[in-house]
Amino acid sequence: MEHTDKKTAFNQGLIIFIFLAVLTALEFFIAIVMDAVVLLIFIALIKAGLVIYYYMHINRLNREDDGPEESYSFKTNTNRLGMWLFLLSDSFIFGGLMVARINLLGLTRPHLDQSLGLVVTAVLLISSFFMNRAETAMEHGDRKGFLVGTSLTLILGIVFLLGVVGIEWPQAIHEGITASSGAAGAIFFMMTGMHAFHVLTGVIFLVIILRNGARGLYNEEKHWAVEAATIYWHFIDVVWIFFYPALYLIGELL
Amino acid sequence: MRHFVIVGILILVVASLTYIGLDAAELLPTQASAEAISIDWLLNLNAIAISFLFALILVPLFYSLIVFRRKKGDTSEGEHMVGNTKLEITWTVIPLIVVVIFAYLGTYSLAEISRVNPQALEIKVLAQQFSFSFEYPAFGIKSKDFYVPVNKQFVLKMESRDVIHSFWVPEFRVKQDIVPGRVTELRITPILLTPPGEPYRVVCAELCGASHAYMFSSVHVVSQEDFDEWVAELQNIAAATDQTPEGRGEALSAQNGCLGCHSIDGSQSIAPTWFKLFGSSVELTDGTTANADEEYLAESILLPGEKIVAGYETTLMPSMEQLNEDQIADIIAYIKTLK
Amino acid sequence: MNKLKPIWRALLLLLMGGFVGYALGVGLDALIGGTVDFVAPISGVFSLLGSATAFFFGLIGYRGITKGLVYQIIGTFVGAGFVTAIRAFMGLETFGSFFFTEPAWVFGGLVGTLSFLSGVGAFADWYKWAKGESTPEHHQDPEGFIKYFGVSLDHKIIGIQYTVTSLFLMGVGGTFAMIFRTELAASRLQFLTTTFKAFDQNGLQFYNTLMSLHGMVMIAGILLGVAGMINYLAPMLIGAKDMAFPRLNAFSFWIAVPGALLLLSALFLGGFDTGWTGYPPLSTRSPLGIQMFFLGVYMVGWSSILGGLNLIATVVRLRAKGMTPFRLPIFVWAAIATSIISLTATQLIGLSFQLVMFQRLFDMGFFDGTRGGNPVLYQHLFWFYSHPAVYVFVLPGLGIISELLPVFVRKPLYGYRWVAMSSLGIALIGFLVWAHHMFASGLNEYLRVPFMYSTLLVSIPTGVKFFSWVATLWKGKISTPTPMLFVLGGIIVFLIGGLTGPPSATVSTDLHLHDTYFIVGHFHGTIFGGYVFPFFAAIYFWFPKATGRRMSEKLGKLHFWIMTPSFLVMTFAMMRVGLLGMRRRIADYDAMLGFDLTHLITTIAGYLIFISVAIFLYNLFHSMNHGEKAEGNLWNSRSPEWLVPSPMPVHNYDQAIEVVGEPYDYGLAGSKYVDFTNNK
Repeated sequence: MEHTDKKTAFNQGLIIFIFLAVLTALEFFIAIVMDAVVLLIFIALIKAGLVIYYYMHINRLNREDDGPEESYSFKTNTNRLGMWLFLLSDSFIFGGLMVARINLLGLTRPHLDQSLGLVVTAVLLISSFFMNRAETAMEHGDRKGFLVGTSLTLILGIVFLLGVVGIEWPQAIHEGITASSGAAGAIFFMMTGMHAFHVLTGVIFLVIILRNGARGLYNEEKHWAVEAATIYWHFIDVVWIFFYPALYLIGELL
Repeated sequence: MRHFVIVGILILVVASLTYIGLDAAELLPTQASAEAISIDWLLNLNAIAISFLFALILVPLFYSLIVFRRKKGDTSEGEHMVGNTKLEITWTVIPLIVVVIFAYLGTYSLAEISRVNPQALEIKVLAQQFSFSFEYPAFGIKSKDFYVPVNKQFVLKMESRDVIHSFWVPEFRVKQDIVPGRVTELRITPILLTPPGEPYRVVCAELCGASHAYMFSSVHVVSQEDFDEWVAELQNIAAATDQTPEGRGEALSAQNGCLGCHSIDGSQSIAPTWFKLFGSSVELTDGTTANADEEYLAESILLPGEKIVAGYETTLMPSMEQLNEDQIADIIAYIKTLK
Repeated sequence: MNKLKPIWRALLLLLMGGFVGYALGVGLDALIGGTVDFVAPISGVFSLLGSATAFFFGLIGYRGITKGLVYQIIGTFVGAGFVTAIRAFMGLETFGSFFFTEPAWVFGGLVGTLSFLSGVGAFADWYKWAKGESTPEHHQDPEGFIKYFGVSLDHKIIGIQYTVTSLFLMGVGGTFAMIFRTELAASRLQFLTTTFKAFDQNGLQFYNTLMSLHGMVMIAGILLGVAGMINYLAPMLIGAKDMAFPRLNAFSFWIAVPGALLLLSALFLGGFDTGWTGYPPLSTRSPLGIQMFFLGVYMVGWSSILGGLNLIATVVRLRAKGMTPFRLPIFVWAAIATSIISLTATQLIGLSFQLVMFQRLFDMGFFDGTRGGNPVLYQHLFWFYSHPAVYVFVLPGLGIISELLPVFVRKPLYGYRWVAMSSLGIALIGFLVWAHHMFASGLNEYLRVPFMYSTLLVSIPTGVKFFSWVATLWKGKISTPTPMLFVLGGIIVFLIGGLTGPPSATVSTDLHLHDTYFIVGHFHGTIFGGYVFPFFAAIYFWFPKATGRRMSEKLGKLHFWIMTPSFLVMTFAMMRVGLLGMRRRIADYDAMLGFDLTHLITTIAGYLIFISVAIFLYNLFHSMNHGEKAEGNLWNSRSPEWLVPSPMPVHNYDQAIEVVGEPYDYGLAGSKYVDFTNNK
């Protein structure tokens, strides 16, 4: 365990969140005023880096084993490696979709509702902030803080899903962007659909840890499931960090 | 040391014999294009390298198996040799150099076969399941067979109507896929007249469906005079046939690939023959029979899936919706003449 | 019935299940079609599922895989019925010529797979975890052969499950090859004619289906075989008790079983005529079979992905004390290299298949040129996996060659570090070469040259392996029991496959060779040399470890001496006709080309290979109970698994292992690789 105290950890989460929020706003603003693909990619990379380092704690992969093979901490280290390997594998799906998007659409993008896009992006970002708070709380044995944080994350996750599938999709179809209307529609539904599928699995994961957490199955020493759900949730956020500019910000309108 | 000398000599002997064997086996079709010369030259260099490497690995392998095999009753261990960094570097770096040379030669050969002659004869290729058709825009003619003059580069502008096909004449060596939704190009300079009566074949080299094996057309490389004659003949025929519905129908059938599947002489094929078709009664998949009149034929051209002849359930014909009513009438008029 | 031996009872039930399923299928077909078609698609699917279920019921009763299959059948129906009901409600077409409509079959296949997994019990522990219950570290496996037919968490049992499933699939794939090889024995069509009819396909279409399925069933079989070798061997070789994630390991195996069934059901549901590559737009026009093919490969792909993940985690986390990276057994290096590819690149074949699936189901225009799509994009996504995939197949095999050579030569592996790094090198370069399959595809011209360079570079690390093998043999004390024969055969055959690579990698020469039988000969050489021969070597070598008995040497040698010359004849014959202009994937060729004799020879050679494999299978099953006892260090190996008695104990090593020396120091007096310590 890192022996930072709880307050410092909470504050760090907040500072990172503010950075992310500012960068997202900056992204949106840049996209409105100029045509700067490289800059947008650069910002996305910074955002992803911040999430991966400060929220997903990639450096925990380096953690030394402090027990024998049968111990919880040794197994958690193994599990963590497995989780990251899985995400590495999963990111190839999203990478492949990104390649398809670049190949088919190039520097053009479908006509989508900008304000809605910004709202769902913000919702997902805020959910990541609460997820971080929930995990930090659990690390310091604060069960109540964990439950509150996870519940908020869960609600925001569902709001995101409703926003994308329940509002954005019908709106796009109404605008004439359907699955069969052409490459742009196909790519839009495939990318958002694949991401939404991951959000859905993340939501299920959150429900499980919320229920088990409420029953007191986790404590500050043993809460691998919470950490796994957290890493997964942030991963979903990282994917959206790239998908959002790819679908909404980059290139000319079709 | 004795071992190395014997193995060295054997390697040279086996490598030479392998190469002589490969060379004598005549493993390539006739060399009928300028591109083929360049490609065969590179293939030959490859054959030399393959022969040498083949011997380089197999001779010491078999030599070891024979000379160093375990004698009966011998239970001792082998010599403790763990490796030699210099040797490892040697057999990494030398192959690396060879590979780079080969890649360079490959690039050179690629440049050679992609050379553009601005005076090249342009030919449009239209591929569809399961036939090729060719259009010569400079002369305003279309043909089912492929005719080109010798010693003159031609450039193919190829389009596909349905799935991916590939244009390949083994005697010319090079091939190029034909991808729906785009125009692909291929340049070839034929250098050899096809022997009379034995045309080459252009075949589809990319799996394109059930009758992929039967997708080919004949290729004739002829002298410039013969080519001009052929062009004139086709122009005359085109002009003449343009006057009659039957003539237009015949031309349309060739251009739209109908004759790739429907025979006109009654021979068995993947689609019902047109020979003596008009007026006959046709047995359908649902057990009923239909009279092959104008109405039936027109429907079958436009909506091939509606009434399917028994025995031909599974080979799907594309709808010929690009044809207008007059053109369909022309084709039916042509079918009427086949008896 | 109960007096019969289980295997006879099972075979009897297999027949009955097949008949019942068949009758049911014909009946259903009559229900919707009106005309009773005796080779109706749906009766094929029912026969397949019915006979498999009945077979396992006869063998082990209602548990494990039997339960999984029953769940799969029900799940498929529930899933397909659900979609059918929705379609009926929406006023869409509800039944088609394959009984259910395409979306119904796809959803049914998906639900069926998940049902299988839940029926067999692969989700059981995870479900308990999600409910907050804890489960024992390991479950007690039942005694006897039954333990192989249900979920077990023991890597050795899973390894054997993988291996046997792999042999079964490769047998099926081989049978397909025998059928179409017979058709190819002479020009013109002999029995797969246009009047031939089976499962809604005529002869030409059936040929294409068999040819395509031969490719993909073999690939699935090889992937499972690779997983079998890695699962069985890797934990043992690194001194671990098990894989890092035993439940994930079991899941990886069991998801491949319904996957394989889905793949095979493609044969009955109209087949598909695209080859294993499934290029659109042809695959968007293929019959329903292509969807089953996509779905099946998708499941097998997950098996491969999760297997790779597990292996990497195992090697990183669970090595014995003192096993530094350069003291790892060489096979484990190969397994790591393989797993890096299967973990990452496999996702892209899944994605490319999924996109075509969705294009068919939802009319999405990814690969439709008329709607802004791009057919060539598919080829990029597809080959990004499917080229490295061949390294997934051959790297473990080449690892087996490097692993076994020192044992039979009694000399250290020459240049161990170079061989280890060459595996990684091949895997990493393998990520950068995919477009060499697309030199004629209409790929951007300028991209062809860099891909030619990168492809040719693969020959450098491959060359390092060959030179090291030869140097290992040099001045050894070589003995040639069956496993060693297959190792040597592997080297020779892989050399032929490898040497024919560079002309296919060079753009201009490839423009002639691409899509011809030359390529067919080339890749059969690489796969036989790099996978099939070493796989057999591994089975002959480690069979005593699994059973405590050895396989018959006499039959093993017979197997080798029939298979090797036949294979060489076959591959050379294929290359010859290819160079002369024989295209791939055609059911019929022109007699004028003069290939009849060569094709006849190829077919005969193919039959001989088939016969030799039958001898092997007899040897395998016969030796399990009747083989000569071999419980000690049969091959006099230094590897730790041979220092404990065979068959291997349940948790591998009772005492912890400590690595104290180099793995292959044969011939160095007094050297030791491992020590057993008591202080756990």
